[in-house]
Amino acid sequence: MTFLRSKVVLALAVIPALLLATAADAHKLRAKGVKVAVAESTLSVTPSRDWNRLSARIGKNTESWTLDGGQLNDVTFYGGIAPGNPLVKERSKKKEPLPKFTGTTLLVEVPELLETTYRAYRQIGAFAVNSTEPVKFLGQDGVRFTYTYTDGDELTRKGEARAVIIKGNLYMITFDAPRLHYFDRTISDFHALVDTASFG
Amino acid sequence: MKRYGAAIVSAWAATMAIPAAAQIAPLPPPYVGAYQPQGVDEIGIWREDDEAERKLAASTLVIQDEKLTFYVRRVLCDTVGTDRCKSVRIYILREPTFNATMVANGTMRVYSGLLLRLRNEAELGAILGHEFGHYEQRHSVNDFKARRAATDILMWGALLASMAPSYDVRRSYGNLELSIYGGFFRYNRDQEREADLLGIGYLNKSALRPHAASDVWRNVMGEIEASARVKGLKKPNFNAIAFTASHPPEAERAAMMAALADPAGRSREDGADRYREAMAAWLPIFLEDQVKLNDFGASEYLIQSLAESGWTATLWFARGELYRLRGHPRDLVNAAEFYQSAVQLDPALANAHRGLGLSLLKTARPSEGQASLRKYLELKPEASDAGMIRLMLPKEGAPN
Repeated sequence: MTFLRSKVVLALAVIPALLLATAADAHKLRAKGVKVAVAESTLSVTPSRDWNRLSARIGKNTESWTLDGGQLNDVTFYGGIAPGNPLVKERSKKKEPLPKFTGTTLLVEVPELLETTYRAYRQIGAFAVNSTEPVKFLGQDGVRFTYTYTDGDELTRKGEARAVIIKGNLYMITFDAPRLHYFDRTISDFHALVDTASFG
Repeated sequence: MKRYGAAIVSAWAATMAIPAAAQIAPLPPPYVGAYQPQGVDEIGIWREDDEAERKLAASTLVIQDEKLTFYVRRVLCDTVGTDRCKSVRIYILREPTFNATMVANGTMRVYSGLLLRLRNEAELGAILGHEFGHYEQRHSVNDFKARRAATDILMWGALLASMAPSYDVRRSYGNLELSIYGGFFRYNRDQEREADLLGIGYLNKSALRPHAASDVWRNVMGEIEASARVKGLKKPNFNAIAFTASHPPEAERAAMMAALADPAGRSREDGADRYREAMAAWLPIFLEDQVKLNDFGASEYLIQSLAESGWTATLWFARGELYRLRGHPRDLVNAAEFYQSAVQLDPALANAHRGLGLSLLKTARPSEGQASLRKYLELKPEASDAGMIRLMLPKEGAPN
């Protein structure tokens, strides 16, 4: 009997521990008005509405947020990609290498870097950069660009991004959503979010 | 002893070498006209294909270029004959992989990556003829039936094995599994050989050069090897290209294709000029799709093989982009040189001036780089990145 009880107690003790362990990995609420650091970096934002942080990370120094699900609207923060590294984690370093951000990459080439990363990672052929223009981002001279691509699910998505190179590292925030309905519906939420981005 | 060994080798070669055993591919059987599906399996497969085709027709990935589709259709008709090709609908998809497929109801999908890799009408005819061979022999319904039979046997086998769970029974179930899957894959490869035989049969009968079929395979193997070499892989992965994954080993295939081709057809034309002309408008786009896939070895091999018939501004530009995007310091020096060759051949190629300008800026030649970027803006004032490029130029009158 005592044996049994001790087992029960042990089980009761283990359950919350398991819950805690999963909670740390789960999607998380990013509440309105609370300033948070993103992508394990000095980059931080203050959301103007509630967002969800997704638990899955597509690479080192990245973090993804969404409103309705990653396929429908996806904000990805790239918090300081160092020279020599790809934007997202490579499936196989040797067999399927991705393009790297290098010490000589210019701001005007950042849209190409995102384009080639998307094309190589998703093996797609339909990707177009629609506009590239200078913008102040994180208090520095940065680049703002828009793009359109059709993914393997044959859904055409639109995207917008802002990027800046600070002390040789790349900081970028991207927004991707299906051209149909979702992009236009949530682009203003993205603008509100990205406008609050600050560095340091 | 040595002589004995040589005798064994030659006997082995005689049994292995398909050329000795096989004659040239026979002419295709007479065409029986439009076919309608029969039996519940086939009717079901056609219905699924019809549904898939409805979706495909509305897909944004389909290249809506009437001229290009018409050209590919004409090459198919030249290869298999006008009566046969009436039953086919061709869709060209913008996808940078080497592949083409044909399904039971007559939908043919041709990928842009295939069109980029071929160099003449005879090669295109060889691939389209092979796919048409699958269709004419109704391989998809037979394949479905074979797969169902194989999995049925395995299911029953697994059920019976679980009722008598001793080690021996499980081991013989494992053997059964191996032999059934082995048989099934062999069946798949035999279908491929049958389609090859028919494909070359069509070419032998047509006015195109049937030997092009083996050229396609030699080129594909060369590209895969080049890709592996640059990545530092020990073994090239021939399954990386969708079209070759389920197909007989490449080297065997190239040899067999050469043997099946009618020697009398060697002097026939292959339509390289017509092919180049038909692809001219799309070549820069297909090349860009390939270069931006970040497969340096394969892209370099492709550009070099396209350049065998002469370097053009388009090819130099693509090579410049390939090197600049990889972006090692040594690549940037090469890239600048390639862009320079492009603008020498076509001074109005705005994007080559952009690439040249950026490469020069990054190799510490700013004043020449800025001159090229100015030229780019002059040629393309409405460029999507004009604002960014303008920022990189010194203000008028200000010192550099």
